[in-house]
Amino acid sequence: MKITVPVSHPEEVEMLAAGGAGEFFCGYVPPEWLERYGGAFWLNRRGPVAGNLLQRDDVSLVAERSHARGIPVYVTFNAPYYTPEQQEFLLPLIGRLAEESGIDGVIVSDVGFLVELRRALPGLPVHASSVMASLNPGMVDFLAEHGASRVIFPRSLGVEDIAALCAAAAGRLETEAFVLNEGCVFEEGYCMTTHRAVGALCVQLPDVPHRVLPLTPDAAASLDGKDRIPAREMMGAFRDWVWFQNGCGNSVTDRGIPNGPCGLCALHDLAATGVTSLKISGRSSSGFRKHSSLRMVRAVLDLVEGGATREEAAREAVAIRNTPEFCGAGYMCYYREKAS
Amino acid sequence: MLLTRHYPEASPREGAGRGVEVGLSFPFLAAPPPAVLRGEASLDETLRVGASGDAHAALAEALLRHLPRAAPSRVYVGNETCERLLPTPQAIGSWVAAARRGRVALSLVLPPLSPDGLAKAEGGIRALEGVEDSEVVAGDWGTVHRLRSRHPGLAIVLGRLTHKMLRDPRLADYFDSPQAPMPSRSALCRSGELAPGFRALMERYGIGRREIDPFLQPLEEDEWEGRGERLSVHLPYQFVTMGRGCLPAAMHRDGKGKFVAGGPCRTECAKYAVEFRVPVPGGNGAGRHLMCIGNALFHAVPPHVSERVLAGLPSRERVDRVVVAIRHFEGNRS
Repeated sequence: MKITVPVSHPEEVEMLAAGGAGEFFCGYVPPEWLERYGGAFWLNRRGPVAGNLLQRDDVSLVAERSHARGIPVYVTFNAPYYTPEQQEFLLPLIGRLAEESGIDGVIVSDVGFLVELRRALPGLPVHASSVMASLNPGMVDFLAEHGASRVIFPRSLGVEDIAALCAAAAGRLETEAFVLNEGCVFEEGYCMTTHRAVGALCVQLPDVPHRVLPLTPDAAASLDGKDRIPAREMMGAFRDWVWFQNGCGNSVTDRGIPNGPCGLCALHDLAATGVTSLKISGRSSSGFRKHSSLRMVRAVLDLVEGGATREEAAREAVAIRNTPEFCGAGYMCYYREKAS
Repeated sequence: MLLTRHYPEASPREGAGRGVEVGLSFPFLAAPPPAVLRGEASLDETLRVGASGDAHAALAEALLRHLPRAAPSRVYVGNETCERLLPTPQAIGSWVAAARRGRVALSLVLPPLSPDGLAKAEGGIRALEGVEDSEVVAGDWGTVHRLRSRHPGLAIVLGRLTHKMLRDPRLADYFDSPQAPMPSRSALCRSGELAPGFRALMERYGIGRREIDPFLQPLEEDEWEGRGERLSVHLPYQFVTMGRGCLPAAMHRDGKGKFVAGGPCRTECAKYAVEFRVPVPGGNGAGRHLMCIGNALFHAVPPHVSERVLAGLPSRERVDRVVVAIRHFEGNRS
């Protein structure tokens, strides 16, 4: 399995390559896009500036330095959709990135844009972003028919669903699953909100006024009786869960290890699914955070690939994190059903 | 009044409701509401009895004003966000029989489906085979692909969850702000569905209808009319977001089991909703209400948005159906 690592500056390439990155992905927002759309319409899921490369020369440099180390680079164009005019703008831009900057492929979310990209640039590999919400084997068939080369699984999928989709994809599509950082409370591909200007809705929800509404007379009676405490606990648990999904308040341990969504102790199970790449997310995080994340994944993956048992790998994952109270809570796990 | 049994002449196919069909959606009912299917409940009464009384009462008045003599001629069964609420083939069979008796058409609504969910949905779809005017509303492209591969003659509708556009109630007013640059406004008031790639998909999968939301921001005219397929517009709830983890289901799960995707539940969504009031930027304390219904958040659009949608119908050739969600119907009164 390759480890897919975010990169947001050419200077990060050498460090992350040395740390064991197998693939890079990055975002690119050209100045023309910012002139047209300002901050209102993000070119990708990070933006408009944070975590993105803003000069095509930087994309070229990332590709050049990565290729020198045998590492491919994928550029993400994973806005949930692009209007026809935006697609007309993006197609030649992506063509130039492929021909002149040497990128190895793109990541997209818009199913129509996938089809159009394959028509316009048939030689360029296209990955289906997690934002495309590929949830079932029918979607694997869809992607194979329409020429995608990889499916990136949504964060919400459990290991068994990933195994089913990997089996469906075998021999046709590469596969990629999340392993570290940047959770999502909702299903990303079906979230019609924006983080722009007002921040993430999910992070906001636990702190805004709310009330539990009974929908039937029986429910009203239950809410005054046996469901009163469970209803209150539900909202408390929601607050906790959102906090964990939000990187434990974007915190790091005293050893500099990023807290937040993690699938490390499920790596043994993930390896058994046949998934071909493991994604560390967080394009907008610091180089240090990226490197710390990569070191953790590399360490546990090396154990798994070296023949460690499931329990040995999971024990090491928990030890590396060194936050047993967070691991024990369960809410930090990408693959809670497999957490040890 | 608008009773389907007592006023069969009010069929939308014969010009009532200005030719716009009205469908009623029952996302939480496992069994058909007999009074509605027998035509013993008027559209007005059905809407007013809905749990969110205010939103539905205003909507009932607006519907009747804009679509005089409109009568429900289609019922939707199934939940668009949660596959745990997939109706069983037996339940669908029961709906089919009731719909036939009531002379209304049937739409089976599917949420985005997991591998297991897709397999389970197959049984329900088979129960629809041969049912006149029936259709399946798909919530993801994988389901569309699978259905078209295995059921070539099936009428597939693209559900509103597949209509990718921002619809964040906190910011919708800004999407249409005159201060915003024109390209931004345009991009936020239309989708990518008129682009060639998406058009090719619609043709490949033979999709003749798509569902859309009552957007807070006014959509560009092309988004309504610049397409070949028919449109169904939902009222009064705008879909906002969904997850596979469920807030109401967390009520009765133990600690580590809460918010696990696809985990077990006691269908708490049929008993409880959670209403949030989220602030809008620059709103001086003003907020918008979001309703957490099961694993999804919806926003009941204000009356002026319903008015705008309904007032636009006469001039919009492609929009020939309104879908009204009945969250709860205390009317399994037989």
